[in-house]
Amino acid sequence: MTDIVLEDIRKSYGPVEVIHGIDLDVASGEFVVFVGPSGCGKSTLLRIIAGLEEVTSGTVRIGGEVVNDMRAADRGLAMVFQSYALYPHMTVYKNMAFGLENSKLPRAEIDRKVRDAAEMLQITPYLDRRPKALSGGQRQRVAIGRAIVRDPQAFLFDEPLSNLDAELRVAMRKELALLHTRIGGTMIYVTHDQTEAMTLADKIVVLQGGRVEQVGAPLDLYNRPQNVFVAGFIGSPRMNLVETVAASSGDGLSLTRAGTALAIPAVGGIAPGDAVTFGIRPEHIHLTDGEPDILATVTVAEQLGGETYIYCEAEGLPQITLHQPGQVLVSAGDPLKLAVDRTNLHLFGADGRAIANGLAA
Amino acid sequence: MTATLKERAATLAALPVEFLFRALETPLAFVQRLVGVRGMPWVFLLPNLAFFGIFVVIPLFINFAFSLTGGTALYPSDRVYAGTEQYAFLFDCENFADPITCREDRFWKGIYNTAVFIFFQVSFLVLFSLVTALVLNMKIRARGFFRAVFFFPVLLSPVVVALIWKWILLRDGLLNAFLVSLGLDKILFFVSPEWAMFWAIFVSIWAHMGFYTLILLAGLQAIPPDLYEAAEVDGTSRERVFFRITLPLLWPNLLVVIVLALIKGVQIFDEVFVLTGGGPGTATQFIVQYIYNTAFTQQVQNFGLAAAASVVLGTVLFVLTLTQLAVTRKRDNG
Ligand SMILES: Nc1ncnc2c1ncn2[C@@H]1O[C@H](COP(=O)(O)OP(=O)(O)OP(=O)(O)O)[C@@H](O)[C@H]1O
Ligand SMILES: [Mg+2]
Repeated sequence: MTDIVLEDIRKSYGPVEVIHGIDLDVASGEFVVFVGPSGCGKSTLLRIIAGLEEVTSGTVRIGGEVVNDMRAADRGLAMVFQSYALYPHMTVYKNMAFGLENSKLPRAEIDRKVRDAAEMLQITPYLDRRPKALSGGQRQRVAIGRAIVRDPQAFLFDEPLSNLDAELRVAMRKELALLHTRIGGTMIYVTHDQTEAMTLADKIVVLQGGRVEQVGAPLDLYNRPQNVFVAGFIGSPRMNLVETVAASSGDGLSLTRAGTALAIPAVGGIAPGDAVTFGIRPEHIHLTDGEPDILATVTVAEQLGGETYIYCEAEGLPQITLHQPGQVLVSAGDPLKLAVDRTNLHLFGADGRAIANGLAA
Repeated sequence: MTATLKERAATLAALPVEFLFRALETPLAFVQRLVGVRGMPWVFLLPNLAFFGIFVVIPLFINFAFSLTGGTALYPSDRVYAGTEQYAFLFDCENFADPITCREDRFWKGIYNTAVFIFFQVSFLVLFSLVTALVLNMKIRARGFFRAVFFFPVLLSPVVVALIWKWILLRDGLLNAFLVSLGLDKILFFVSPEWAMFWAIFVSIWAHMGFYTLILLAGLQAIPPDLYEAAEVDGTSRERVFFRITLPLLWPNLLVVIVLALIKGVQIFDEVFVLTGGGPGTATQFIVQYIYNTAFTQQVQNFGLAAAASVVLGTVLFVLTLTQLAVTRKRDNG
């Protein structure tokens, strides 16, 4: 099978370096998702692996072999483009058969593969149509089918679902997950949608500004973000991040900002006077009747029936988001007493690196 | 500061326009009162319609009327009705494939020459334009410069083009000077029928290629680049990419180019007339030149016959134009 290894990959367009030295291991059969904000270099990295862009320096290995100088055509990969890149003048069948004809397979073999893939993707009825006569979701399937039939060493997807509407996106997401369990190839998938990343990936690579911020399993990233960026990027709604200053308070510390002081036990690496950002996910803030950590006022409450999102403000703090199960009946202007769950509290130093992910109770 | 200066300049530049509009307001309002709001579009179209009518439509009918008359008189009232006699004369042939067996052999020689000319000129014109467009569409150095260079001859008047090449090709022209400097003999290009035809074709390709290259280049650039990337990742060879992706997607543009080149080819006259004068003999005399000679340069000015030949030529062009419209419509509807 096929593993893909990137070693110190750099890419410049003219004088501008857009990828600043990326190392990455993709194990054989793994589903890896590149996620990050727009312009962070996800597509560029994927195209480097595909062989559509040359690296400025560094090494790309596919299945142990250095492929830096190998043409895209010889790398044995399949790519699904954001625009689908279907050949408009060919029928669905021809589109799917095109890549196979390159490898001079016998007709019957091609026919069998195309029909199998079409069956699997439920596009058999459209085999004789042109792409123009298909819906977005159907085109997407054809694009995926075109990749599947070739039995590639690895699949590369560049935001394949971003042109679909929300409902279809969820459906296709499930199908992709199913597809991966069924055919089990190495897959690299680019998206800027962190829900897609969380649900599909064995391993997520968070990119920002041409650098890897963190690599890990989805829940790893969620539970133990290594820095403020990952903490804020993974999870929806995003983690509440509050910049504070540490002060000593009894045996422990107190994270202070404006009128708020969050008492925590002593943490190695934080001294009084340090700038500390604390992060707390919306579901880890609770309403309390006892001594509150934060006194806040509701600005908006979103009732979804099964759960409630509450957005509130507290003096001197950024907006705070709460995610509560069930129906919490509050409305704008109501005062809230908030308690922060210390076991799920994340602390980041002035450089943005994580100091602690969860404190002892 | 600069902003206010700019603003002032803009106001100043707008003054004449404003003045013009003010000046037009009263007469236009008056006209509108006369013809009503619905009549106004016609008023705006009138100058163009009048021009088109006087210089195109009316001559078309006059020409047709002339083709049904005989004699050498210029004024229609002096001409004698001859029915389809002129057409019968043109088409009086024993064997249409062989101009010499026709009564009006110069007409058929013109058609024959035009056919030969079109066959080679259109094939090579399309081929060269396609190759040039493909090259100019690649990431080459100084691409903008080369695009301009290839388009430049299109801007020249046909007469200028012909004169430039005449200087090059004459007995004491540049090319012969070059041949002599290589120790070769001079070639009298305009004395040999084959050379004359060759250069007629060559020069007209040189002059028009830029235009067709531009159309094809636009077509090439309209092909989404990710189709090529998809094909590349799929391991497609360059030839297969060209024949299975580029060519089919470029085909509508190519068809437009072919039909346009045919239409222009049928009408070939000015640049070759200046270059070779139709000679040697009638070797490069084309159908339009036949019409021109018959009507204006012969001792006996045979307007009726020229008009009849024009009608025949016009019919051919009409059919080609319809084809071109159909092709364009098909392309634009995808
Ligand atoms: N051909 C190019 N020339 C110059 N700069 C480029 C080129 N292609 C990409 N870039 C730059 O490289 C950076 C990374 O681009 P890339 O397309 O990889 O981003 P991305 O993460 O895929 O973003 P998106 O989510 O918007 O697709 C961007 O800043 C972009 O401006
Ligand atoms: Mg991208």
